[in-house]
Amino acid sequence: MGNTPRATRRYSARSPLVGYLLRRLGTSVLLLFGVTIVTFALANLVPGDPIAAALGEGAASNPATVEAYIKERGLDQPLPVQYANYIGGLFQGDMGISLRTAQPVASDLSKAVPATVEIALLAIVVSLGVGVALGSLAAYRRGKISDQLVRVFSLIGLSIPTFWMALVSFNFFFLQLRIAPGSGRLSPALAPPPTVTGFYTVDALLAGQWVTFTDALAHLMLPVFVLSLFTIGLLTRFVRTSVLEVLDADYVRAGRAKGLSGARLLFGYVLRGASLPILTIVGLAFGTLLSGTVLVEAVFAWPGLGSYAYNSATSLDLPGVMGVGLVVGVVYLTINFAVDLLYGVLDPRVRLA
Amino acid sequence: MRTKFRYVAAAFGLTASLALAGCAAAAPEASDSIVIDTAFTLETSDPGRNYVPTGYMVSKALYETLLDFAGSDESTPVDGLASYESNDDATVFTFTLKDGRVFSDGSAITADDVVFSLNRVAGMTESKANFLMNGITVTKIDDMTVELSTETPSLKLPALMTNPSLAILNSALVIENGGTTDDSDAAEAFLNETSAGSGPYILDTVNFESQVVLAENENYNGDEDIDFTRVVIRNVSEAATQKINLEGNDSQVAVDLSGDQVASLSDGINVFSTPSAQTIFLLINQSEEVGGVTSNPDFANAVRYALDYPALLELAGAGSEQATGVIPPSFLGALENGVEQDLDVAAASLEASGYDGESITLEYPNDYPVGGVSFTPLAERVQSQLADAGITIELAPAPFTTQIDSYVNGTEAFSIWFWGPDYADSANFLPFSAGQKVGLRAGWTAEQDTDVVNLASAAENATNFDERETAFSNFAEALQQRGPFVPLIVPGSNIATASYIDGVAYNSTWTMDIAELQAK
Amino acid sequence: MRKRWLKIPAAWITPLGVIGAVIAVAWVGIAFTARLWVPFDPLAQDLPRLQAPGIDTLMGTDALGRDIFSRLMTGAGVTIPLALMLVVMSLLVGTLIGAIAGYFGKWVDELLMRLTDLVMAFPTVILAMVVAAALGPSLFNAVIAAFVVSWPQYARMTRSIVLGLRTQNYVMAGRLMGFSPFKTLRVDIAPNVVGPILVLASLDVGTAILLLSGLSFLGLGAQPPTPEWGSMISAAIQNFDSWWIGLFPGLAILTVVMAFNFVGDSLRDIFDPTSQVSRAGARS
Repeated sequence: MGNTPRATRRYSARSPLVGYLLRRLGTSVLLLFGVTIVTFALANLVPGDPIAAALGEGAASNPATVEAYIKERGLDQPLPVQYANYIGGLFQGDMGISLRTAQPVASDLSKAVPATVEIALLAIVVSLGVGVALGSLAAYRRGKISDQLVRVFSLIGLSIPTFWMALVSFNFFFLQLRIAPGSGRLSPALAPPPTVTGFYTVDALLAGQWVTFTDALAHLMLPVFVLSLFTIGLLTRFVRTSVLEVLDADYVRAGRAKGLSGARLLFGYVLRGASLPILTIVGLAFGTLLSGTVLVEAVFAWPGLGSYAYNSATSLDLPGVMGVGLVVGVVYLTINFAVDLLYGVLDPRVRLA
Repeated sequence: MRTKFRYVAAAFGLTASLALAGCAAAAPEASDSIVIDTAFTLETSDPGRNYVPTGYMVSKALYETLLDFAGSDESTPVDGLASYESNDDATVFTFTLKDGRVFSDGSAITADDVVFSLNRVAGMTESKANFLMNGITVTKIDDMTVELSTETPSLKLPALMTNPSLAILNSALVIENGGTTDDSDAAEAFLNETSAGSGPYILDTVNFESQVVLAENENYNGDEDIDFTRVVIRNVSEAATQKINLEGNDSQVAVDLSGDQVASLSDGINVFSTPSAQTIFLLINQSEEVGGVTSNPDFANAVRYALDYPALLELAGAGSEQATGVIPPSFLGALENGVEQDLDVAAASLEASGYDGESITLEYPNDYPVGGVSFTPLAERVQSQLADAGITIELAPAPFTTQIDSYVNGTEAFSIWFWGPDYADSANFLPFSAGQKVGLRAGWTAEQDTDVVNLASAAENATNFDERETAFSNFAEALQQRGPFVPLIVPGSNIATASYIDGVAYNSTWTMDIAELQAK
Repeated sequence: MRKRWLKIPAAWITPLGVIGAVIAVAWVGIAFTARLWVPFDPLAQDLPRLQAPGIDTLMGTDALGRDIFSRLMTGAGVTIPLALMLVVMSLLVGTLIGAIAGYFGKWVDELLMRLTDLVMAFPTVILAMVVAAALGPSLFNAVIAAFVVSWPQYARMTRSIVLGLRTQNYVMAGRLMGFSPFKTLRVDIAPNVVGPILVLASLDVGTAILLLSGLSFLGLGAQPPTPEWGSMISAAIQNFDSWWIGLFPGLAILTVVMAFNFVGDSLRDIFDPTSQVSRAGARS
């Protein structure tokens, strides 16, 4: 559930690559401001008043306390001023204090983001592996029964409600079969590894904690499985199409004519040729994964961005919502920009322009 | 070709390690360490600022209070860090500290620590626990003696002193780290990292989103003899997951199981079910401006008699009871019998109220099960029962944090809420009175019912036990007849543990004392 | 001659498309008629609670003693019409905006496309969730939130097609003949947009159902006691042991989304047998 690929992207044939990239960079920065305005506006649209929620019923009955609280957080200022304060703080790495957790949003997010990215990265790797394999298979066997089966399989993958799959697989693999570990990132008996990257698996390896590593990996299994189903469906479709296009290309025909076959042809020619569209869709699939985590993390009690986004949104935690919007917006824009950049570098039509 | 094989081998290796990891994680057998699963309500580990259940549970393990309750018995406070005596007017209470008790850093507990800790809560108006110290003056008599006094009789004071928010902190350590006795206090950050108390545990690590880890306090010299030296309190918000974790031995204690879940627990699990001190009730706003037709007292009566209470109770399961009034069972002045459905009375009252078939919105928090009772099915059943009585209800659930604002400000016409005591004393239910905190949330002002106001003040100011009991039950009775609240259910508290764990005792404030959990 | 409109080209008939169409039509049929024939009132709490599937209650009962089969069938009437409405709404608005952007170009294009960029700078569920939370949870607001995130894909696709056509000779000819911009769009451009947009829309029905039920799962869509599939699954979290509560609504979502995807995917082959890159992503 993400967005349209920028396959409809229009490249100006006149501007040189650098100029084009600078323009894209400029647009990205502008969009980033747009993102902060949108999140700020949305957060302030919320009808309820978060102050009582943050203070608790006891203190909220005390007008002096409420007033002091409002003053302290600058909530009595007009909205443009509040927005300006927020942007000003952003430049100093200050994303405000969460009304819900009473912790700096930046520090909340610094814990939540790696948790989600760890799932998303692994899911991308899994999806890419399976997607490329299935997609290539389908393309090679175009029109045959295996092509049809892959097609049905990928369409089903795109049709599964992730939150339901999360529930069902959690119920089945954990409660019934007891082969999957429970919720969370680690078994409770284990302490998180010392933070380097924020990815428990990587950090555990860096610290040489083998048990923690396997445990963290085991906890990743189900969420990754559930999240991958959708992206596998997505990637399989794209890989198939891209490979089909490349298979018709002259240089691949030439390779075939030279007698190349099998893996050599696939990896050396076909996938290299198809890598660009695949790359685009991987970037976008990452966005769909971030969406998916919102629905999946709740089921697995995964302390990531999805849970944080949901909790912040439903508890009217303005700074929290804005922080999530900002981080997600930055990730999206960065990925888009990176994809554009790679296009510019890799695609001769853009490079030669 | 070799490269390709290496890739394949690596892929198989990854798959295999995933599978292995899956098996390895299934059953970690722990001996002196336990995991407690609960849905977190945790904002701070500074006891003086805490006001929420998980925080109380943590504070109870890390800190000690002047007085305590033995096991599940919350009728009479027993000695904690101190013993006490009071004068006949119940206005002056003298606390004498026990000899030789020390904090986790080995320093002795003195009257100065008591004065500092209590005055800190009294001075921090920002603290949600601040109200506990309202009207109480703290005076140091000597190094081991402290006097607490109040203007008016206060038989509730000893029960107050069991509240973990009034824990005794290591004043030297806290002051060193920014502690003061007013709003300038800056010790919260320190107390979120380190505990500064005398309880059987010390704080190891805390993460308000995920888990709190407690370790043994090596310097503890109190009465508890703990069996579990490492305790992990883990945030598992879904009760269903708590149950799975417990059955899978992923955790050893589950705090929030619902009645339905307890009924279907597998063998080898102990369950401790008891009515909690929470009351789930319907609020029917008496302000014409807010509620329109609901402000007619006859409407409240129609609702009261239209409901089929046993059918509602069915949703709550093990340990739960019908609420017989605003004072839950086991508290002083609680009524014997609750309301029984009487559709004739309901119809007559509805006729008299001027209700004309309009749709009334019922608001409730939908992410905050109380004692395992989710409000959504409860609201759906209330809706269906009231529909049978001719009242049209529309449901408007919202998350707790969104909903509480309008509840506190008294702008909800018709809603489901709950009330639990902050400390084990019936004085906790006087806010339901007209003109008091909860009463005002229902738009019920003091002028609307001066009789109830008088009954409440009689209960508040009683100086002896019998007089107090009668006063409280008169108060509860009056509310059952004409109050803007319809108490529905006192949900059960179901604490389930692995079979080898013993010593669970439910407390209405701190849920359970972790230090009392024992290995069989 | 009379039955000519029924003649479907043979190429249109693929097994996948037919299976999808049959299931989709069945679900739409259920959606509009279920209230008439379900065995129990979907709101009545008369049956024993948490009863496993059996002869009386095909899919068991939920925590309030309501028949899940009846709720599931009437639930189709909640989600499917709303999803269809959502798609039509997004299609109309998105196509119009895209056509305007593509046809007029320059700053109009720049402005409108930056707007779509802005919407697309968020993952759909996160943005929809924030919008729904801001508007207040209700099924109607969930549709609005879903609309906010789903129109841009139509706008982008229409724009790219219009952009390609704008300089075509026959379009230029029309303009030279004095066609107004809207006449050009309607007469010369619209017919070329219809096919791809239809493909996108048929695939988008599935996405819309997933998004709406996802929002309801989070408590931001349908409100109780509405028998909506997403909220029925969310109720299953409270009763893990009664597996039937969550299993069947999920299967319902899966089959209906799958059916629309099968149809959409087959349509895509018909309208555009060569390149699928530009469009398939739009369903993501």
